[in-house]
Amino acid sequence: MKNWRTILYHGSRLVLGALFCYAGVVKALDVVAFAGSVANYQLLPYQLNFLVAALLPYVELAAGLLLLLGRQVRPAVVLIAGMNGVFIVALLSVILRGLDIDCGCFRPGGEGHTSAQMALLRDVGIMLLALVTWLGVGRRND
Amino acid sequence: MSKQLKVKTLWRDLRRAFLIALLAAVVGLAVNSQLLWRVFSGQTLNTVPSAVDESVETILPLPVELAEVRELQASTTLFIDARSREAFAEGHLPGARSLPWGEEVAGVGVLQAEVPLETPLIVYCSGYDCTDSFELAERLIAAGYHQVRVFEGGFPEWRDAGLPVEGAQP
Repeated sequence: MKNWRTILYHGSRLVLGALFCYAGVVKALDVVAFAGSVANYQLLPYQLNFLVAALLPYVELAAGLLLLLGRQVRPAVVLIAGMNGVFIVALLSVILRGLDIDCGCFRPGGEGHTSAQMALLRDVGIMLLALVTWLGVGRRND
Repeated sequence: MSKQLKVKTLWRDLRRAFLIALLAAVVGLAVNSQLLWRVFSGQTLNTVPSAVDESVETILPLPVELAEVRELQASTTLFIDARSREAFAEGHLPGARSLPWGEEVAGVGVLQAEVPLETPLIVYCSGYDCTDSFELAERLIAAGYHQVRVFEGGFPEWRDAGLPVEGAQP
């Protein structure tokens, strides 16, 4: 009983960590393209799109790395859940406004079009992973 | 775990999460300081390598004459105005879309999301002494648009020919 819980916790922690590391690295490598993706959401003034594009990948990468390393897992999960909440709100606003854009979640520049609906579904999955990780670490001394 | 202790640890986690985010943001700022400086001081990003694959041979946009522009008015061709938003608001070619040079990174991204790549485009700005339209057209070709041409006479030639203009003309 305890065994599969441990496996579940480590599994979700590693998947979540790898996912956010990947997302962070891919976007950090092409900030200008990612700024274009952020601009597509039409939520921020011109210059702030660049600011978000410059900072967000590094926050994703930091949270992902901490999860992979198993250090400061709870704060990292809080951070990921917070970012994910922001993504969900942004995607909902895209769907409500009827914009047809690529979500810009991983690869900037819109190769491979991920619709807002698909991205939203994925983010709900990420939220569940974060919850599982949070509950798993709650029973341990971190 | 008592309730009080739970709330306490949650606050601690939130504080730490905030600190982690702050540190990561500082790293991001440091790494991208040059780019951000350019953006916030209002310089264009020409010197920044774009997301465009440079190995693809870029084709130069061809010029288009006023007479042909008039004919294309009724077709599916989309007119792109490379001038400032203010100039666009004052007056522009009927049905034209504003995409100011200087905001082209975000602008081309938005255009790509809304306008199919096979749409023929005609870019213009404020006449023969203005190179923004040509540069924007090159950027659009690099972004994957197949048919991009430049109306070199731009808005002044159109207006002076007595053709209809959209916007808040005095």
